[in-house]
Amino acid sequence: MNATDTNGLVFDIQRFSLHDGPGIRTTIFLKGCPLNCAWCHNPEAKPYKQQLSFNENLCTSCMECVKVCNNTVHSFVNGKHNVNFDACELSGKCVEVCPSEALQIIGKEYSTNEIINIVLRDKKYFENSNGGLTISGGEPLAQFKFTKSLLMKAKDAGLHTAIETCGFAKEQQYLDILPYVDLFLYDIKAAEDKKHIEFTGASNKLILLNLDLLSNNGANIILRCPLIPGVNDSEEHLSFIAGLNKKYQNILKVEVMAFHNIGRDKSKNIGVEYKFNDKPNADENTKRMWIAKLEDYGCTNISIG
Amino acid sequence: MKKNFKTEIKFTRTYKEYINHHPAIREAHCLKAEFPDYFQPIQQNDLYAGRLKHGLVGFSPDEWGSTAFGYYILKPELQNILNDETTDEKTKKEIEEIISFWETENTSAKIRRSYPPEMAKYLPSDDWMNQSGIAFPLYRLTGGNINFKKLMQLGLPGLRKEILSKLATAKENNLDEKFYEGSLIALNVINDIIDYYIRDAETQKELADAENILRLNNIIDTLKLIKDSRPKTLREGIQLFWLYANAADVRNYGRMDVYLGDLLANDLDCRIITEVEALKMLQSLWQLMADKHTVVHNRVIIGGKGRANENNADRFAILAMEASRTVLEIEPQLSLRIYEGMNPDVFDKALEVIGEGRTFPIIYNDDVNLNSVVKAFGFTEKEAEQYVPYGCGEYILEHQSFGTPSGVINLLKALEVTLHNGIDPVTKKQMGLALGTFESFKTFDDLWNGYKKQIEHYVRIMADHEALEYNVAGEVAPYLLMSMLYDDCLEKGKGIFSGGIRYLGGTLETYGNTNTADSLLVIKKLIYVDKSVSKEELLKAIDNNFIGFEKLKKKIADVPKYGNDIDEADDMLLKVHNHVCNYVRDQKDRVGLHSYMIVNINNSANTLMGRSTSASADGRLAFTSMNNGNTPTSGNDKNGITSLLNSIVKPATDIHAGAVQNIKFSSQMFTEHKDELKALLKTYFENGGAQAMITVVNRGDLENAMNEPEKYKHVFVRVGGFSARFVELAKDIQLDILNRTLY
Repeated sequence: MNATDTNGLVFDIQRFSLHDGPGIRTTIFLKGCPLNCAWCHNPEAKPYKQQLSFNENLCTSCMECVKVCNNTVHSFVNGKHNVNFDACELSGKCVEVCPSEALQIIGKEYSTNEIINIVLRDKKYFENSNGGLTISGGEPLAQFKFTKSLLMKAKDAGLHTAIETCGFAKEQQYLDILPYVDLFLYDIKAAEDKKHIEFTGASNKLILLNLDLLSNNGANIILRCPLIPGVNDSEEHLSFIAGLNKKYQNILKVEVMAFHNIGRDKSKNIGVEYKFNDKPNADENTKRMWIAKLEDYGCTNISIG
Repeated sequence: MKKNFKTEIKFTRTYKEYINHHPAIREAHCLKAEFPDYFQPIQQNDLYAGRLKHGLVGFSPDEWGSTAFGYYILKPELQNILNDETTDEKTKKEIEEIISFWETENTSAKIRRSYPPEMAKYLPSDDWMNQSGIAFPLYRLTGGNINFKKLMQLGLPGLRKEILSKLATAKENNLDEKFYEGSLIALNVINDIIDYYIRDAETQKELADAENILRLNNIIDTLKLIKDSRPKTLREGIQLFWLYANAADVRNYGRMDVYLGDLLANDLDCRIITEVEALKMLQSLWQLMADKHTVVHNRVIIGGKGRANENNADRFAILAMEASRTVLEIEPQLSLRIYEGMNPDVFDKALEVIGEGRTFPIIYNDDVNLNSVVKAFGFTEKEAEQYVPYGCGEYILEHQSFGTPSGVINLLKALEVTLHNGIDPVTKKQMGLALGTFESFKTFDDLWNGYKKQIEHYVRIMADHEALEYNVAGEVAPYLLMSMLYDDCLEKGKGIFSGGIRYLGGTLETYGNTNTADSLLVIKKLIYVDKSVSKEELLKAIDNNFIGFEKLKKKIADVPKYGNDIDEADDMLLKVHNHVCNYVRDQKDRVGLHSYMIVNINNSANTLMGRSTSASADGRLAFTSMNNGNTPTSGNDKNGITSLLNSIVKPATDIHAGAVQNIKFSSQMFTEHKDELKALLKTYFENGGAQAMITVVNRGDLENAMNEPEKYKHVFVRVGGFSARFVELAKDIQLDILNRTLY
């Protein structure tokens, strides 16, 4: 099989990634996601296009950005640097002159060949650790052609492949990539559809359907369950997760993704609202309690992801 | 402050008395004059005798202070005593006499006096730690690894017997009788030291409690035994090793698991001692080593191919690592040689000790190094099995070869001076070759050729210097206690540096390699390829430490740097590396050495020499640390640990005599991701990783330690070729380590 080279929008390449599948992996983070989860820890992944990011902590107020921008994105009021993100046309001029790397353009075009060449540099590390390539995001299937091409190339090169997916994509797309995916890291966010719509902006029907589809077609699955204290860690949801675990033989493991407020600063940097500004990270006791409950409901293999 | 100079006076008098005698006889009598006086009493808790504190004049192959080696004088210390008001007139007079005699008679002075004019012109200073310069000489015969195995097998009586038999037939074999006569006197000095310690222990017993009487009795019994026969137990073996190493002033101990492994195994198997007792014995030895505060020496080698009784040696190796885990000191520098198929328990033990943040053992990969040693030095495969790293990480063959680094070269300074047409911008004085202004280098190749010329000019001088230093050192003395346990010396009746040694090699320490490569790539890209910056602007930026050149600094930051698995950057490093390695290596025949190679090791010279090096084109600020060994400039590796490891395996390992790699891990890696960590290291070594020095710290520890040093004395870090308590380092060295990427 010869996958065609195709371009995609990538916002990060993480080598020696230890948290997105087994062993030592390289994780490719793609831009674009159909969901809009309130707790998202990669808010810069949501839009399907490049965007400007501004880290206030790094800004030295040199005002070089003001001088070069044609769209008055940058202004200083009482010494404070304001960014009008909506006006930005991504010329990249301000990034070029910013001496402190406070400004960045998130998202870079790569071809699948370029990506696979970077990934293959660590092939031996994958082999010695049973690791491989993970495609994450965003939602990898939001850039379906790119993801499929990358997966095919990875399989061609003999790599173990994983994708981290929110489950919200066309059924046919899952069937198309299934032969090239060794492991699905599959997100489950809320049992109740109304809540799911409230938290993520979309219904969970298609997601559960796709889970069923993948399970029936022999996919290896790890359920990844973001748990946000007081938001979606209800008894109902935990028992629902355990139910899925019992129902599908192919679910190898349940990974609890405990809430982390890393999304807060990132949201601020790209000028979007973050709903959980004041929510503390999940503490160890809470995590232990979740695991105990999941076990009570019949989950057998649980870990903190 | 020292008040009593009797031994210094005696030593000086003895030297004068024997000044025109055969060097072996002169040295032997000088040893007799300084020892056992310079040995200090047994201390509370010591299980062995042997604490050496050299005097202000004396004899030693290795350095005792800046430029102090051979027949040495510690002039600054003596000068302090002279300047002190409380020093009486009689003492002052004695000191003045000592200084005035040794000022010209010390070995380093003799070496400097014999510099030809060109060498003297380009090596004007010996003060590499404080002055600006491209290259500096070092004065020492360091890194000798003597044949302790033979010492264990023969014991003192056996060694004496061998020398006597050589002496008996020397005349008929046309060998130098005086060499053997001197050797016998020197060997008797060891007996003098033993006798001194027996007396010391007897005296201490008078005031000791029951437990300490037992300890002292053990020492006395052991000393008596090793005087009369070869060591038969671990305790005797360690005692003999330690006294001999101190008297010979050998500071790197070679394959200890080989020469003590059998004694340990026998003791344990015959139930002479328990494991617990064996550990206590090593712990005491480790403490004695630590108390020597050599900083960069005290190498103990364990593991590796070419060990006769591998099982016994591995038992010793595991115990040695346990000693390093439990004795919370920065020395000895325990170094483990690993290889495919080795006992996995040994490697697991190593990871346990490293994971606790002990920085030891340092790991050397035989599967890469044996082949490199064969190619780099021209040794046979069998010979290469006996390579040992010493000091900061230079390789030699145990008791067969020598490779003392007798100079340092700052590659980045050479580039800086080349960009300024031979002027050192720090001192504003002419320093190197004037090869034209930066403006006059029309192409990148022009600049590269200029840089090469500058380096090559200094390398030739340094190679000449190495040979010259050995020549003078060999004329001055045969270094008897070291030579009698170096292969071929007894057979030839010659000292190591007087024609006795089998393979006499030398090394040159290079610094700033990575900064130089990164700077060259910045210059190439911004000036010669993109033409987005003018030479004038770059030079101005460098000369102004980038103040007012923030935009340029950003451009520089965007140019790839070594250590990120980006070929463009790594290739420039290879260009710099290959050039200096090969050019240095080509000097050996011209200067008559078996080998002459660079070592890309590091003590803290990257920081010390960085203090005199102005800002560089790679964005490094003036007077800050340069890169460390074969690793990227601190913080420049931003692509993850696998890309760092992929980069650092690229430079060839078979054209130099040793290079070090510092890697800083968080302790979570060793606790939460042990399997991945093991796979990571395994892959690194399979990919050609030659060496690894691993610092393990908790996130935040180093920052906290800078603020509250008293609470963080337990934090150990690998600086370059040595380990340290983080809180005891100078602030700029601390910052350099803090800035290293934590994986």
